[in-house]
Amino acid sequence: MAVSAAAAASAAGRAPHVALIGNPNTGKTTLFNRLCGARAKTSNFPGTTTSMRVGRFQHDGSPWDIVDLPGLYGMYFHGPEAQIVRDVLHGDGAEPAPDALVVIVDATNLARNLILVGELLAGPIPIVIALNMTDLAARRGVTISVPALSERLGVPIVPMVASKGEGLTPLVDAVGRVLGQRQPRSPMPSGVEALTTWADEVLAASGGSAAASAAPDDLTERLDHFLTHPVTGTLVFLLVMGGLFWTLFAFATLPMDLIEYTFAQLGRIVTTFLPPGPIASLFSDGIIGGIAGTLVFLPQICLLFFLISLLEDTGYLARAAFVNDRFFRRFGLPGHAFVPMLTAHACALPGIMSTRLIPSRRDRLVTILVTPFISCSARLPVYVLLTQLLFADQKFFAGIAFALCYLLGAAAAFGSAALFGRTVIRGTPRPMVLELPTYKRPSLRTALLTAKDQGLAFLQTAGTVIVAICIVMWWLSAYPRVAPVPSAAALRAEATQAGPASPRAQELSVQADALQAKAQQAGSFAGRLGRGIEPVFRPLGYDWQLSVGLLTSFLAREVFVSTMSVLAAGGGDPSQDDGVRARIRQMTRDDGTKVFTRATSASALVFFVLAMQCLPTLAVTRRETGALKYAIVQFAYMSGVAWITAFVVFQGLRAMGVS
Amino acid sequence: MEHEGEPVTDRAITPVRLCDLEVGRAARFHEATLDAEALDLLRALGLTASSIVRLRKKGEPCIVQVRSTRIGLSKTVAGAIFVIPQPIGTV
Repeated sequence: MAVSAAAAASAAGRAPHVALIGNPNTGKTTLFNRLCGARAKTSNFPGTTTSMRVGRFQHDGSPWDIVDLPGLYGMYFHGPEAQIVRDVLHGDGAEPAPDALVVIVDATNLARNLILVGELLAGPIPIVIALNMTDLAARRGVTISVPALSERLGVPIVPMVASKGEGLTPLVDAVGRVLGQRQPRSPMPSGVEALTTWADEVLAASGGSAAASAAPDDLTERLDHFLTHPVTGTLVFLLVMGGLFWTLFAFATLPMDLIEYTFAQLGRIVTTFLPPGPIASLFSDGIIGGIAGTLVFLPQICLLFFLISLLEDTGYLARAAFVNDRFFRRFGLPGHAFVPMLTAHACALPGIMSTRLIPSRRDRLVTILVTPFISCSARLPVYVLLTQLLFADQKFFAGIAFALCYLLGAAAAFGSAALFGRTVIRGTPRPMVLELPTYKRPSLRTALLTAKDQGLAFLQTAGTVIVAICIVMWWLSAYPRVAPVPSAAALRAEATQAGPASPRAQELSVQADALQAKAQQAGSFAGRLGRGIEPVFRPLGYDWQLSVGLLTSFLAREVFVSTMSVLAAGGGDPSQDDGVRARIRQMTRDDGTKVFTRATSASALVFFVLAMQCLPTLAVTRRETGALKYAIVQFAYMSGVAWITAFVVFQGLRAMGVS
Repeated sequence: MEHEGEPVTDRAITPVRLCDLEVGRAARFHEATLDAEALDLLRALGLTASSIVRLRKKGEPCIVQVRSTRIGLSKTVAGAIFVIPQPIGTV
């Protein structure tokens, strides 16, 4: 049967395209993962697969392109996901129209799923139905005559359990058979009401009944009462979130420290083996620093996506959305916004992408605008650095300050949502209507694949940007080369007189290196740039070096630590400590005072909590809202709030005598 | 409000708000005073003309079942949906 597939592919001059389509939460992405070896995220929260994904599958040596489409209830439906599906089916997107459709149908909820099948049967594309979750249906006493159903619909139907890989081979064979074939079709009713009646008739004719699959489930009833109750639901939510973040910080710290340590050692090895000069500096400060600054986020991002995936898979998140709805609505946000905001703790990009599941455009816009206030993983190293600079030897207070950063970000998000709801995006959130998916045991495999997928996506997008910025920053701070300064030359002369092996000579050489490096930083392109923008940030307590750090981190906030590390490389005393944080702590201003005073550190910390410093986020905001103005509003608003709040913090602390 | 075992009378076909239905009671969907987008979503979830809906939980959220689909509704939405309670044991 692979002959048909090969013939179809050959005729089109490309690999056959097979699209997976179905209602939300029917197992499309699980099937996609089975076929393509995991390229997409699956969930048990309705509508989380929010964009099209394409993977490659080899069938008897012939490649097929498998397209994973977002779940949708009907083709007629208004909303971004239905538009994506319509575009794909018409071949209006980047991919050609599919050569075959695999319609994934939930066997426990056949009547509703058949409505979409009915709509697709009105089209010309060959169809195979994957009757998924047949194990769950059997446990619930749902009986379906597959041959009768197949005959009634006129398309092949393959019973399967996608999560266990059961039925995969028959499904692939069935797809191979329909590729390049024309399926005879009967006229279909149009309109959801007529299709619903048709679906009930089809179900009855195939030996099933809507009532059989609607049998009450005691456990689901009890869990729903408990998990959506105002008191117990809120308590469970707080416990779950507390556990999630505790796990995140408890388990991500060790790998993050290991990454930092490994790259510090690597930098030391490079400087030992390469002769001093621009090449050694490029490798140790530019490339290695940049890669370290990127990789350090990876454990947190992967772990958070792993945990969110587990939660999604259980079906809990839909219930949690209702628990949150009570609180969110007070600030003009819908309960749906909970999932984007939770996801944004890892990264704002998938957070904003997942706002597609919010039905109302007004609610979606508000959520998109405020989601970047949520503290993402990229802010974490900045928080760690600045809280440690703020409370150098007071771990308890550093921890409190760290937690307050998260609270400040969330407070800014909710406060801003309330403000937007009363000004630029007037209105109240749409009352929630959400399908409550079946409770399921979470799939460890899916969670691991999600973590891997999201980690790779981060490295491919943010990682390349960060490394590139670090290399550019190294160049800007290393050039143009500054002539030897007289004071450094005098110290070197004194060192020569003292004898090259004497401790005094070594001390003088270190001082001379520091003076020269300081002059180099001040005279470099970065130094000139920093001095140019310093007046903007001076009221916040920042000197030119900190201004450069802020400027570069407007593209990606995580660059701040590595930029400061690059800038501090020559400014501090390398014999003391070459760890990133220690080097930055030693930085001095032109007048010799510390760059990071307590007031400055607090001001910078607040600035980083609130500022929009992520170019990819602005690009996604522009794309998801369909208008550049929202990206501009987001950038201007968040930057303005950050500047004003940082100003108040710095000047307030100074007025209180904290320097 | 309809009581268990009560025969079908004129009073029994008076539409009631979904949120006022007894828990566990089946009812036939009558109408909803909601905007077009919300109606679209409800229809997509199976709440079409004359479909049978069963109240599973009252309050916020209100949980109903239409065929095999469990739907969470905010109280506002449940209050804008009108249904006709069905006699016990007939559905």
